[in-house]
Amino acid sequence: MSRRKRMMEDLDQDIRDHLEMETQDNIGRGMSPEEARYAALRKFGNVTRIKEETREVWSFVWLEQLGQDIRFGLRLLRKSPGFTCIAVITLALGIGANTAIFSMVNSVLLRPLAYREPQQLYLVREIIPELSQTYPTLPANLQSFRVWQRECHSFAEVAIVEPSNMTLTGYGEAEQVSGGLASANLFGVLGIMPELGRTFLPQEDTPGNDQVVILADSFWRDRFHGDPAIVGRSITLDGKPFQVVGVLPASFRFPKGAQWGAFLEFPPRTDYFKPLGLDPKQFDQLGEFDFAAIARLKPGTSARQALAELSVIQARIAKDAKEGVGLRAEIIPLESEVVGTARRGLLLLLAGVGAVLLIVCLNLANLLLVRVPGRVREAGIRTALGASRARLARQLLTESALLAVLGGVLGIGLAYFGLRWLVAVAPANLPRLDEVHVDARVLWFTVFVSMLTGILFGALPAWRVAHAEPQPALKAGAVTITEGRPARRLRESLIGFEVGLGTLLLIMAGLLTVSMIRLLGVDKGFTTEHVLAVDVSLPPQSYTKPEQKEAFYDNVLARVRALPGVSSAGWISRLPLEGQEQVDGINVPGRSTTGLQVPVANYRYVSLDYFKSMGVPLRQGRSIEQADRDRHVAVISESVAKKVWPGENPLGKQFHPGEDQTPLTEVIGVVADIRTVALDEPPLLMVYLPAGPAAHGWSGSHGSLVVRAAIEPAALGAAVRGAIRNVDSGVPILHLRPMTEIVSESVGVRRFQMGLASLFAIFALLLAALGIYGVVGYSVARRRQELGIRMALGAQGSDLRNLVLLQGMSPVVMGWAAGVFGALAAGRVIRGLLFGVTAQDPLTIAGVTLVVLVTAALACYIPARRAMRTDPTVALRYE
Amino acid sequence: MSTKEHKERVELLQGTLDLLILRTLLLGPAHGHAIAKAIEFKSDDVLQVEQGSLYPALHRLIKRRWIPVQAGTSENNRRAKFYRLTAQGRRQLAVETSKWDKLAGAIARILLPAEQEGKP
Repeated sequence: MSRRKRMMEDLDQDIRDHLEMETQDNIGRGMSPEEARYAALRKFGNVTRIKEETREVWSFVWLEQLGQDIRFGLRLLRKSPGFTCIAVITLALGIGANTAIFSMVNSVLLRPLAYREPQQLYLVREIIPELSQTYPTLPANLQSFRVWQRECHSFAEVAIVEPSNMTLTGYGEAEQVSGGLASANLFGVLGIMPELGRTFLPQEDTPGNDQVVILADSFWRDRFHGDPAIVGRSITLDGKPFQVVGVLPASFRFPKGAQWGAFLEFPPRTDYFKPLGLDPKQFDQLGEFDFAAIARLKPGTSARQALAELSVIQARIAKDAKEGVGLRAEIIPLESEVVGTARRGLLLLLAGVGAVLLIVCLNLANLLLVRVPGRVREAGIRTALGASRARLARQLLTESALLAVLGGVLGIGLAYFGLRWLVAVAPANLPRLDEVHVDARVLWFTVFVSMLTGILFGALPAWRVAHAEPQPALKAGAVTITEGRPARRLRESLIGFEVGLGTLLLIMAGLLTVSMIRLLGVDKGFTTEHVLAVDVSLPPQSYTKPEQKEAFYDNVLARVRALPGVSSAGWISRLPLEGQEQVDGINVPGRSTTGLQVPVANYRYVSLDYFKSMGVPLRQGRSIEQADRDRHVAVISESVAKKVWPGENPLGKQFHPGEDQTPLTEVIGVVADIRTVALDEPPLLMVYLPAGPAAHGWSGSHGSLVVRAAIEPAALGAAVRGAIRNVDSGVPILHLRPMTEIVSESVGVRRFQMGLASLFAIFALLLAALGIYGVVGYSVARRRQELGIRMALGAQGSDLRNLVLLQGMSPVVMGWAAGVFGALAAGRVIRGLLFGVTAQDPLTIAGVTLVVLVTAALACYIPARRAMRTDPTVALRYE
Repeated sequence: MSTKEHKERVELLQGTLDLLILRTLLLGPAHGHAIAKAIEFKSDDVLQVEQGSLYPALHRLIKRRWIPVQAGTSENNRRAKFYRLTAQGRRQLAVETSKWDKLAGAIARILLPAEQEGKP
């Protein structure tokens, strides 16, 4: 540093000497001393800049300059607090929203499953071509699993797992816990090492050796206070002792709900895993298609190779099974299956929120462009004092970067709180939602986005200032009457761009909203108002006989019916919209269909009054009555009637609910179709049998009480809970909520997407309106003189207003047209997210058009009215 | 300054000034003004060097230790700073010169055929 200082001190002297010598030379050539001095200075160039450049040679001058720029920038921002506030707030909202949505994308889509080499993991599902119309793919069955394990060389290993529920006793109140029954090699396939203890041993796969469990970290902490001594001890599940052999790491997550594909419903919480403990005899025939099969491909094996090999194996299994049906298989990357349909929705939201940030940038660029003329004068002075263009541009970019950094810091804060809110309102079935948080990748994303934002909105104004001609700006008192055409056109095109993006977002949000309305308006087949639903699960150790279960259900029903405010109540084995269960064939005697070719229905067991309580309309025949409990009768849904007995009267017809040896059952009534899985999935075949020990296949281990109330159903909650407790306080109540809540939960993902998309679209519209207001208002202010002259020449106030409106609206109309065009082009992307509406829905587009044009007209109208009130004398005096 | 005069003068390429300074100093130590004069004189005034821009260039070379500074007296007996070429600077001059030759040769080869084609 001292060397640098010495050199710089010498420089002044050197330059003085140099100029002196040159002057002397010039005098020697015959110039006058004054002339000679000027000539020397001219020849030398700008002394200040030369010094600056020389200093740059010696120092970290850019760092010094950055400091200067930042100080200067901060001073400027302080001087115009209004602009700074708007800029920082809009930036913070834009960057914050982007950070929050990116955190979700990061957790849900980008972060790999916490399994070893997750890209090698595939879900294997089976396909029965004859059934693929109704059931495109099915979970795996035991025999196939065993054959794959033995013969499929593409798989390094394959494991199966099925959902399971048990009741934990001995640790406080009885509690239903949920988890999975797995082949012993599951953790080997996933590549998971236990935190404590061990995973399953191969011999624990066999019956008798399977009384062991592995606990999930959260369950271990909640229920056993994270006591490491639990390993090796015994806990009581379903009344039987199980030895705890290990505890899984905290990072372990197991996909839940339908994330394993259709017909597999894993519980939202995974508390434990237990070995399947299967009798080898069970492998001898095609059993139930009940298992999630996870295969780890051998390194270097492609999915296509594996599928080719699997197809050959499947064909042979089908031939050996002699069921008269084919068998194929499908393998799906586990990650993509887990993420599922959430991908498209989330990416769409990310694109939407990115568009909002782009609008923020355009707006700020516009606000800064408005300030360009003022800055040009300043830039002119600085150029005259020796600043280079690059230096000027850097100064201006530093200012915008400062705004971006301020906005970014505030935005991270907003994202932090916004994310809590997002996770709270997000539907629980969004995969890996509980893992969403701000991590290093998210922070880097924010830093990157902030910087990009700063450059994006700062570059254009900076370029214009740096390249402006300084001379005209320096002429004192120069007032340009009208703004240069290119400058105006530039700002108008920015406005057009903003309006276009806003229109596009509004159309997308509008389409999602219309879909939601259509979806909620769909004929569900039951009524949701005034209905309370309560799920219970009977602990198997105290309810061993079917009669005990039946008595429990009857007693609860009697007590609940007696409650004031209850108009009717009934039981069902599984509520509508809660997914498929008890899927079996409808075997009509005498029909030639065999094996797996028979129509397949969802079987439900219902009590007296279920249809009445749920509001499922009876179409034909009669409902289930008390006396039907000991008879083999059924109520079927309309689809069953149409599919199994087309064109015939189904009443009195008989069928076997499942295999041929099941009791022949008579159809006594037909009820409306209901939505079994989701509102946006067409109704499935439903068969309702009277619940009770006499019904084939009735387990009665869990049931849902449906209470129709004359009053607000939530107000009945405590009374119903009390009635169940009074019958048996040892029966855990799993859920108690109004039916409306179940419906609203089932559309949670859509509601979430629609809500966020609408929020972004409205924000975008407001930003665009702000931008329009700013540009038109500024142009009115600048043109005061011109407008005054026009008025003095006889123009009416309304003429001026119309002039301003026309000029203000022309970029809006162009932007709107571009936005509509963009929305039509983007229709293909969003189509998968829509329900009951096309991406080109004219009503939505018309509505959005109205909103955009009215908002824009309002934003133009306020300054236009000001133009109308121009007082010609004042305007002319302004000069 | 007339337009014609302006056109005949050539702006220096980036870094060329360094080469010219090193070349000038090869003849012996010189002070700043003398270097500027020498460059102007030898190029028949075609190369228009803003004399001031000499100084950042000189400081660049000093920083790289190619030319040390020493005090001395100028021809008209004034105290002045003299710049001298070090051995390192000499080597650098050779490197820069050959680079320049290559560049000039390459450009000439590109331009030459075009000129010939242009002739009828």
